[in-house]
Amino acid sequence: MSTAAKKSLSLLQFLLTTWKLNLAGAMEFRMSFSISVGTMILNNFVWVFFWGIYFTKFPLVNGWTLQDVMMVQAIGNGAFGVAAVFFGNFIGIANIVSTGQLDTYLAQPKPVLLNVLVSKMTVSAIGDLLFCLILYGLYGVHTGLGLAKFLLALLIGAAIMVFFNVLAQSLAFFIGNAEGLGFQVFNAFLTVSLYPTNIFHGLGKLILFTALPAGYISFLPIGLLRDWSNSFVWGAVGVALGLALLAFRVFRIGLKRYGSGNMMTMRM
Amino acid sequence: MSSVRVQELTKSFTVKYKQAGLAGSLRSLFAPQTEEKVAVQPLDFTIEQGEVLAFLGPNGAGKSTTIKMLTGILHPTSGSAEVLGFNPWQERQKLAFHVGSVFGQKSQLWYHLPPVDTFELMARIYEIPRGEFLKRRDQLVERFELGPYLNTTVRKLSLGERMRCEIAAALLHRPQIVFLDEPTIGLDVVVKQKIRDLIREMNREEGTTLFLTSHDAGDVEQLCKRVIVINHGQVILDDSVSNMKREFLTHKTIHLKLAELPQPIALPGVTVVKQKGTGMKLSVDTALTSIETVLSFIVTHYKLVDVTIEDPSMEEIITHIYERTGKGGV
Repeated sequence: MSTAAKKSLSLLQFLLTTWKLNLAGAMEFRMSFSISVGTMILNNFVWVFFWGIYFTKFPLVNGWTLQDVMMVQAIGNGAFGVAAVFFGNFIGIANIVSTGQLDTYLAQPKPVLLNVLVSKMTVSAIGDLLFCLILYGLYGVHTGLGLAKFLLALLIGAAIMVFFNVLAQSLAFFIGNAEGLGFQVFNAFLTVSLYPTNIFHGLGKLILFTALPAGYISFLPIGLLRDWSNSFVWGAVGVALGLALLAFRVFRIGLKRYGSGNMMTMRM
Repeated sequence: MSSVRVQELTKSFTVKYKQAGLAGSLRSLFAPQTEEKVAVQPLDFTIEQGEVLAFLGPNGAGKSTTIKMLTGILHPTSGSAEVLGFNPWQERQKLAFHVGSVFGQKSQLWYHLPPVDTFELMARIYEIPRGEFLKRRDQLVERFELGPYLNTTVRKLSLGERMRCEIAAALLHRPQIVFLDEPTIGLDVVVKQKIRDLIREMNREEGTTLFLTSHDAGDVEQLCKRVIVINHGQVILDDSVSNMKREFLTHKTIHLKLAELPQPIALPGVTVVKQKGTGMKLSVDTALTSIETVLSFIVTHYKLVDVTIEDPSMEEIITHIYERTGKGGV
C-alpha cells in the first residue's frame, strides 16, 4: 500500500473511531438522548404542519409545490443534521479559539480543523437527520436515481453549511470573541436555507447566492432534484469546494495568531 | 544528542488594557488601548536526550508559553527552536507523533466515556498498529494500576485516578519527549508520590526526555537532574538540581503535635519558629542536621501525636534565587 493510501486509511479509521465514540458519549445519558432526539423531530414537524395548512389554501408558492417545499425542509434540516452530527464543532470554533481550547487538538498529529470539527456530536441533530429521512420517505422520489440525487443534495448542502460557518467562526482568530457574530450568521444562514428560494427577489436573492450562500442549499430541490440544471449543480459543487478551500486557508492563517489561554478544560 | 535546542526564542502578545467599570468599558469600546506584553524574552537552552529537566518560575513567568511554542501550539514572535530535529510550529504534525504532553489543567480524556475508549482513540490519532497498541495499553494499565477503573467513566474518577490515566494516555505512542505541565497539581501526597515513581520509571526504562513544570519542590527534587528557572520570560538560573538544593533548598519545616509540653530541642541548625501549647513548628537547616537525625530525636524525646514535614514552596526558593542573582522579588 502506498504512503498516501496508508495515510488516507488511518485518517478514515480516526474519523470512524471519533464518530463512534461521540455517539457512545451521547448515549451515556439515555433519557436525555431520547428526549433531545424526539423533541427535535417533533419541533421540525411543527413546520411541516404549518406548510401543510398553507398548501390546503394555495397550491403553489411562486411555482414551488408542496413536495418541493417538503424537500427544502428535508435538505435544509438534513444538511444541518449531517453537519451537526458528524462535524458538530462547526458552530463551536469561535468559542474553542477564544477560550484557548485548541491546545489539545494542536498537540495531536492530525489536521487541526478536521480534528476540531469531528470531535463533537450535537445529539439533538440526530433528530434532524431522522426527520430528513422521514420526509424523504413521505415526499421523495423512491428510485435509485432519486435517492442518489437526494444524497448528493445532502452532501452539497452539508459542505456549504459547514465551511461557510467555519469561515464565520474563524473570525475569532482575528477579532477575538466572535461567538455572538458566529451565532447570528449561523441563525440567518439556517433560517433562509429552509425557505423556497423564489420568495426572495432582487437584492435578497443576490445576497442568497453571494454573501450568505444559503441559496445554494434552498434551491437544491429545484435545480438538482426536480429539474436537474448542470449550471446550478456545478455552481453549487464549486461553491462548496471553494468554501472548503477558503475555510482551511483562513483557519490555517488564523492558527498563526492563536493565543491559547489558561482555562481549565475537559473533553465532553 | 540533543532533544531540544532553543535559540533566541521570544513571544509577545498584544493585550487589551481596560480601565475598571462600565465607563472604562465604554471608553475601551470607542478608543481601545492595547499594549505589547512580552511573555518570553530571548531564551536559549539545550536539553539532551533522556534528560529530566525542571522548568520553573512563578505564575506568569512564561513556562507554559514556552512549552506551547515547543509543541507547536503557539507560533513564536522571533527566534528558532528544534525539538527532535523538527521545527515545532512548521512541522507540528510530524513532531506530534514523537511527543507526549500532559497539561494538568487541560484533559485529553473524554469526560463522559471510560479511559479505555480514549485509549482507543489515541491509538487511531497516533496511528499505532493494533497489536502494538493492545500490548502497550496492557503494559501501562498494569504499571499505572488502572485496571479497576479502566471501564469507569472519567467523570466518576478521582483527580488522582484521572491524572494517572492522563499520563498513560500521553505515553501510549512511546513518545521520545514528554512535556509535563504541572502534572501533580491538586493531588494528595500519596498520589503525587505514585505519579513521581511512574514518571521516574518511564525515564529510566524508556530513556524518555522529560520537560517538567511544577510548583511542587518535591517533584523537582525527586525527578529532575537539571533545573532552569525563568521569570518575566528570562532565564535566571540554569544549573543541576543538586547545586540548586545545596544553595537554595537548605531548609525544611516540621510541624509537630505532641501529647505533652515539649522539652527544649538543641540540635545544630534546628530552630523553634513557633510554639503554642503542645503544637510546635521547627525550621531545620538540612546542611547542618539531616531530617532523619531530627526525627529520630523527636521520636526519642517527645510523645508524638502527629508530624508533618514541609519543603519550602517553589515561590520561596525562587525568591531566594532572585535574592542571590539580584533580580528583584517574585
